[in-house]
Amino acid sequence: MLDKVDRARGAMHRGRGQTVLHGDLLDLDRRLDAAFTGWGRRWGATEYRFPACIEARHLDRLDYFRSFPHLATFPVTLEDDKESIERFAASEPCDERGSVNLGELATVEHVLTPAACYHVYVELEGERLDAPRYITTRATCFRNEREYTPLERQWNFSMREIVCLGTAAEVEDFLLRTTRVINHFANSIGLPVEWEDATDPFFSPASNPKYLFQKLEPVKRELLVDDELAIASTNFHHNHFGETFDIFRGESHAFSGCVAFGMERWLAAFRRAYGENSSDWPALEGWTR
Amino acid sequence: MSDESGVREALRRWIAETSGKTSMEQLTDDTPLFRSGILKSVQVSDLIFFIEELTERPVDVEQIKPGVFRDIDTIYRSFFESGHA
Repeated sequence: MLDKVDRARGAMHRGRGQTVLHGDLLDLDRRLDAAFTGWGRRWGATEYRFPACIEARHLDRLDYFRSFPHLATFPVTLEDDKESIERFAASEPCDERGSVNLGELATVEHVLTPAACYHVYVELEGERLDAPRYITTRATCFRNEREYTPLERQWNFSMREIVCLGTAAEVEDFLLRTTRVINHFANSIGLPVEWEDATDPFFSPASNPKYLFQKLEPVKRELLVDDELAIASTNFHHNHFGETFDIFRGESHAFSGCVAFGMERWLAAFRRAYGENSSDWPALEGWTR
Repeated sequence: MSDESGVREALRRWIAETSGKTSMEQLTDDTPLFRSGILKSVQVSDLIFFIEELTERPVDVEQIKPGVFRDIDTIYRSFFESGHA
């Protein structure tokens, strides 16, 4: 639980792990994001800003609701019907515990973005790439969890991603080189980190072949602080998204990979590694242009 | 099935038929199966079932190591050579 000290230094707790940032922590968030965005620019990445919601039908094509149903957060609206809305407004819309008595709801067709890069593949659907394509984006992502810790495990959090679509070799080269840059960055600021093979948080993993595949053919690596806090990950998707969204690189379905940075977790990592006082944090000079 | 060339041939046929993206003639023993997109991640369970059929014994997925499905040669050495799972 964040306390008054945290409040004074730039973070306020709002429940379910959500935090309000200001001051030194918000400034650090911006400088780190400038560094990560700059690494995307080295690849000629185009920056996109996507909506907060993504159409459920797109995630369904990825089997998202079987793989990660427990993480999904759905935006709902009242039924577009005058009488229903009047009934809602005339009732007790929000009870003493803060629960909303919703009444009749409109059909739900969207999901609050669970990962920034899903939008990229939807955006590029049907494209024929004659060269690798690099895209960077930052999104507020929503993941429903059982437990929350401010800055470290939040219902909604910020994710910066750099995505590459190309041949298998182009994507692997992108992941390898970006990993080197991240390692150089961590070394230069004295942040103790380690890479570790990882799997995505599948629902009922034992019965999901995708989980089994990730165990046997590691495609995800996480950058850990204190052996437990994952602040970044590299992900090699093979041609999963290329096939699903009919994206071609040359004559074959495109391969894809992404590097993702959990922004609030980087702030937590700085506090763990360097302490609460911003004057003790690395300056990041030369990294934020 | 214990004959090495027979096992490799059976694996080649199953992979070509399951994938639909390559022919038995194009598929060599060191063709990357997942990295090349010939097989998809969701097909790894079916591949394990097929290996169990060929070996006539169950595969303990908790015991096998990452990378064992890289290509036909790796699969053969991991599951069919004597002394292996």
